[in-house]
Parts: sequence; C-alpha cells; structure tokens
Amino acid sequence: MSIDRYWPFAVLCALLLLVVVRLLLRERIALQGSISFITVLVVFLLAALVPDLTARLAQVMGFQVLSNFLFCLAIIALALLHLRALVTLSRLETRTVHLTQDLALLEEKLERATKPQ
Amino acid sequence: MRLLIVIPALNEEEALRALVDEVLEARAALPCSSEVVVVDDGSTDATVEVAVSRGVRVVCLCRNLGIGGAVQTGLRLAYREGFDCAVQVDGDGQHPPSEIHRLVQRLAGSDAPDIVVGSRRLEARGYQSTRVRRLGQRWLRFWLQLVCGLRVTDPTSGFRLYGQRALALFQRIYPYDFPEPESLAVARACGLRLVDQPVEMRARQGGRSSIAGIKPFYYMVKVTLAVALAYLRNRGRRFRNLVVAMNGLSPSLAAVGRTGGDGGDRN
Repeated sequence: MSIDRYWPFAVLCALLLLVVVRLLLRERIALQGSISFITVLVVFLLAALVPDLTARLAQVMGFQVLSNFLFCLAIIALALLHLRALVTLSRLETRTVHLTQDLALLEEKLERATKPQ
Repeated sequence: MRLLIVIPALNEEEALRALVDEVLEARAALPCSSEVVVVDDGSTDATVEVAVSRGVRVVCLCRNLGIGGAVQTGLRLAYREGFDCAVQVDGDGQHPPSEIHRLVQRLAGSDAPDIVVGSRRLEARGYQSTRVRRLGQRWLRFWLQLVCGLRVTDPTSGFRLYGQRALALFQRIYPYDFPEPESLAVARACGLRLVDQPVEMRARQGGRSSIAGIKPFYYMVKVTLAVALAYLRNRGRRFRNLVVAMNGLSPSLAAVGRTGGDGGDRN
C-alpha cells in the first residue's frame, strides 16, 4: 500500500501536532495534560506514514477497509481523551469549591479579627 | 454544648431579615450556647447587607456553589471552630427557628444520634409541599430504603442537626447538587446514626425555588442515581471515612484531621 493515498491524513496529524506544540509554547495548555493528546497524534501520524503495517494490523483485527480501522481507532482515542478531561475537570471543580469555601472562611475570620470591638 | 446555626442563603433578602430575627429570638429557648452564621452563596441582591445589619456572622462565597457547597461551608466552620453540633436552617424561611430546640433535644442523653432530620411527614403538621414534590419524596423514601436500608420519612428535608461525627464527615464529603437525599446515603454508608424528629415547616417566605420548570425531572433522575452511587462509593471506603469521622471525637486526633483532611479533594 502506498503512502500517496494517506498523505492528507499524515498532514492533518502533523498540523494538529503543530497546533498543540504552539499552544504549549504559548503556555495556553500544560504539558502534563497534553502528553496523552500528543501520543495519540504521533500514533496516528505513524499509522499514516507506514500504511502497509497499519493495513496488516487492521486485517489481523478483522477490518476489511483500512479507513474503518482508522475511524474506529480515532473514536476510541477521542473517547478516552474526553474521559480523561472529564476526570481532570471534576477534580478541579471539587478543588475550586474547597478553595472558594476556604477563602470565604478565612475572609470572615480576618474581618472578625480586624473589626474594632 | 455549643451549637452553630447555619443559614445558607441565595438571593433571600425578602425572607432573611425576619428569619434571622426569629433565629436570634429562638436562641433564648435553646439549652446550649449558640452562634448564627449566614452563608451567602453569591447573592446578587441585598442578602449580605441584610445579614450584616442583623449582627450575625456572615460568610460570603465569591461564586455560587449551590446549596450543598454553602451548607458544607457552614459545617466546615462548625468543625474547625470546635462546635459540638450544627443545625441547618434554610434562608428561604421554610424552617421555623422555633423548632430548632426540638432537634437539639434529641441530642441529649447517652445514645445521641449523629444526625437529626426534621420531618414534616411524621406528624403531617404545617406546610406539606406540593403533590408532585410529595410524590418525589415518596419515591426517594422507597429508593433510600431499597438501596441503603435507611428508613427516613422526609428525605428532602434540609432542616437537620449534625452532631460531631456528622460534622467531621460532612466537612470532608458533602454533595453539592440537590444534596439532602444523597447526604443521607453517605451518612448511612459511613455508619452514622440518623433519627427523624417531627417538626412543623412552612411555605417559603420569599424568593424563588431553584427547582422549577423541568428541573424536578432532572432532580429525580440525578438524585436517584446519586443516592445509589454515593452509597456504593462510600461503603467501599467505609473504614477510611469512619476513621476521619472519629477524629472529630478526639481533640488530639482532631488536630491531625484538620491539618490533613481539610484539603481533601474528594466529594
């Protein structure tokens, strides 16, 4: 199988990788949370660059058409990334709530301490 | 014994003035010393000004956390400042402060429960809420008994008294969205003892209910799922939660619990 057929897919992955790297450089996203995203993009890029190997893998897994295999992989990868983001978001939400509560309690304590008797 | 009266309020300027006055009056009938704190959940009206003008303690949350977050703030305050118990009195005026002493009385004696739930169903006096809500309450009663084996007559009542162990537990773990039935499941899973106390309630004295429009349907689905999840989740961690809860009983261990447990990000 020739790489010619899959170069748009490879270019798309490379472009997305560039966007992620750009966001990292601008400190819009943190490296810790982006590693899984970068890994997924690199895997897809490699899959597009070596289509023979990808096609063999797809056949072994019972896929008749290579694009179906790639779509399936992409859906699973996105679902996992989304779940991971959901976990992070939930944890942050709980932390934000506790911080908001702590801030309010400390403010009240401070106000009481500085209030003239 | 020291009691903290926690009043969570969101845009309750209409009802709050009379409510705080009633609470201050009701304190005289209590068999213990007490303090009052209004937890403002990010109100956009004059709730804070009203509370400040009555001379009670006011804790202002910088953003809206929901009723659960506001109540937990009060419970955390009670736990940190070493109160023996805390009572929740909603800022909409549905819970008559004159009934607080009935909840407090249940804590007397050696076999004191951890949570006293004020129930409008036991004696069916006063305001009984709408028919749809009563149907929802019936379902939640059935569901709590089925899932947790917990018999409680008014699972959506927010008029509650929390003892030391309950404070120690809920300052760490308290649901934020529609918290009443879910918090009962958490308490049950962690081995706390709950009792019902008949109380008289009344219709809200001002403001608007947050459960309106299609929200009751979302409420039922969410709470049904949340009760089951909360019970299963906390049963699995029963031992750890109990150890943390027990810290509230021992001054030396409490210090450890306060420094190590407050920042916990579980909920």
